[in-house]
Amino acid sequence: MKMFTRYSRLNLGSSIIIFLVGCSAFYFVLDHVLTQEINQVLNSEKEEITHFVKTHNSLPEITNTRDQQVYFSQAELPVEQKLVSKKAWNQRQAKLEWIRELVFGIEVNGLHYKVTVDKSQDQKNSFLNLIALIATGMIGLSLLTTLIINRIVLNKLWQPFYQSIDQISNYQLNGNGQLNLPKTNITEFNLLNNCVDAMVTHVEQDFQALKQFTGNAAHEMQTPLAVIAVNTESLIQDEALLEVHGSTISSIENAAKKLSRLNQSLLLLTKIESDRFALNEKVEWDVLVQQRLDELQDLIVLKDLSIELKTVPVSSTFHNQLAEILISNLVGNAIRYNKERGRIVLQLDSSELIISNTSGLPALDKTKIFDRFYRHPETREDGNGLGLSIVKQICEMSGYALDYQYANSMHVFSVRFPGK
Amino acid sequence: MKLLIVEDEPSLNKNIVDYLVGRGYLCESVNNFQDAVEKTECYEYDCIILDIMLPGGSGLRLLQQLKANRKSDGVIIISARNELDDKIAGIELGADDYLTKPFHLPELGARIAAIIRRKSLQGNNQLFFEDILIDIPAKTVSINNQPLQLTPKEYDMLLYFIINKNRVLSKSSIAEHLWGDDMDLADNHDFLYTHVKNLRKKVLLAGGGDYIQSIYGIGYKFSQA
Repeated sequence: MKMFTRYSRLNLGSSIIIFLVGCSAFYFVLDHVLTQEINQVLNSEKEEITHFVKTHNSLPEITNTRDQQVYFSQAELPVEQKLVSKKAWNQRQAKLEWIRELVFGIEVNGLHYKVTVDKSQDQKNSFLNLIALIATGMIGLSLLTTLIINRIVLNKLWQPFYQSIDQISNYQLNGNGQLNLPKTNITEFNLLNNCVDAMVTHVEQDFQALKQFTGNAAHEMQTPLAVIAVNTESLIQDEALLEVHGSTISSIENAAKKLSRLNQSLLLLTKIESDRFALNEKVEWDVLVQQRLDELQDLIVLKDLSIELKTVPVSSTFHNQLAEILISNLVGNAIRYNKERGRIVLQLDSSELIISNTSGLPALDKTKIFDRFYRHPETREDGNGLGLSIVKQICEMSGYALDYQYANSMHVFSVRFPGK
Repeated sequence: MKLLIVEDEPSLNKNIVDYLVGRGYLCESVNNFQDAVEKTECYEYDCIILDIMLPGGSGLRLLQQLKANRKSDGVIIISARNELDDKIAGIELGADDYLTKPFHLPELGARIAAIIRRKSLQGNNQLFFEDILIDIPAKTVSINNQPLQLTPKEYDMLLYFIINKNRVLSKSSIAEHLWGDDMDLADNHDFLYTHVKNLRKKVLLAGGGDYIQSIYGIGYKFSQA
């Protein structure tokens, strides 16, 4: 629920209750006051009649008016005084209406009379109704105005908040940007902006430090690795030593090489993650695929693989090195995990690149294969377990959809280019 | 042929020097930026092997100074940073090649040889080894003046062997020279063995000597039989 909706509900709800209570109170008070007034009129009528009877010792001549009637009727006993409101038939106006009726007894020449004075409450009621109508109208109008003003004012007040949110959601952590949120004249928003600014600055600093660390760690690691490599190479010049330690030295050499490649892959992943590749080069995918196949020709012949190439010229705005890595890793896997005399099918059209290959491996776990360092248990540790993670990372940063399927005994990897 | 090695890691520096001296080059080495500047200002080198991260300054700055002084020394950058930007910056500043650490010394040797050949095109562009003659610009090989037909990979391998003659070359060094990182994909080094076997057979059939020795499962050595 939006804050405004919630606030309006609360505000309107309480206003309506207050108005209802207030209006009812007002209504009853007014009703009471008006009724009192009618009572006074009735009482003064009584006094007049009583006074007349006292002085003249006979009942007065009555002229009934439209809203006041007086009736006399003889009674057996002295009549008790009562004052009531009731509905009665108004003959003059030919309708039922509320009247206030005062009944009292009077004695004329030893005879008991019951005097009934009726006074129409019609005026009072129409007056009350009018007031109720005006009140309701004014309440409605005032609520509507509040609602509109709130909406306008609140929208305006919250503007800096939405601006900040906009900036925050468009913000990308890249180690060199800062989030400069606009200054507002609302303390709370400034507080929020300052907190977010401080947080972002802190995160940027950490990110910068991490990046520097990764770069430094890579540099610091590559140099010792180079030392290991060149010293190993010096060792293998000693043929007498080789006779005894040949395989040991060979495994040192290979391990150093592997560590170095792993290091390079991790660096590449970090670099892709931090979006440091600008996708602004024209990449001809079909050419790259063909180039890669040419480079790998020896390995394809070695495994006696049959290649089916179905490509059409496709070019897009991308990054050449990343495209090469993407193709290289997928095609490399298709060869590496293939079996002798297996098949590789490469399909490329303007919408997607599909690489399918046969393999000794069963269907792979789609949820795991793109994880870092995941290796199918049945494969040897010749890959570093990062190839598909790198492909996935490249696809993610560029909005390409990477998918894996196992169909017709083929492992199928597809990269779907975003729709044009 | 005079080379300057600019590398701050002592062990790496020494190994490179030892290897290149063994290849018949005249080598001088320094381990910081200032010494490198002094050396390059005073002397001419056929090729400078230059590390980027140096105490006292960046190798790239040295490269800029060389260019400003219109020096024609060949430069090969050796760096721990395999960053494309660095590579491009280095090449744009006039470096001839870029090699990422760690590398195989024979690979460095092959790259240096290529740079020196390019720098001195008017000079000797033929490489001899016993009865084998390689015409590098034409990419042809002859044995006892009889042309020898080789595949491009076999040609590369022979050239690599001859540049690194009398030296044990590990299989991974040869494989990496020929196929780059893809060798990683091959199931094992038998693959390399096939290529070496073919080359040896061709040389022998053409009347050449048996120069390729297999060394204890480590690799091969190209030397006089």
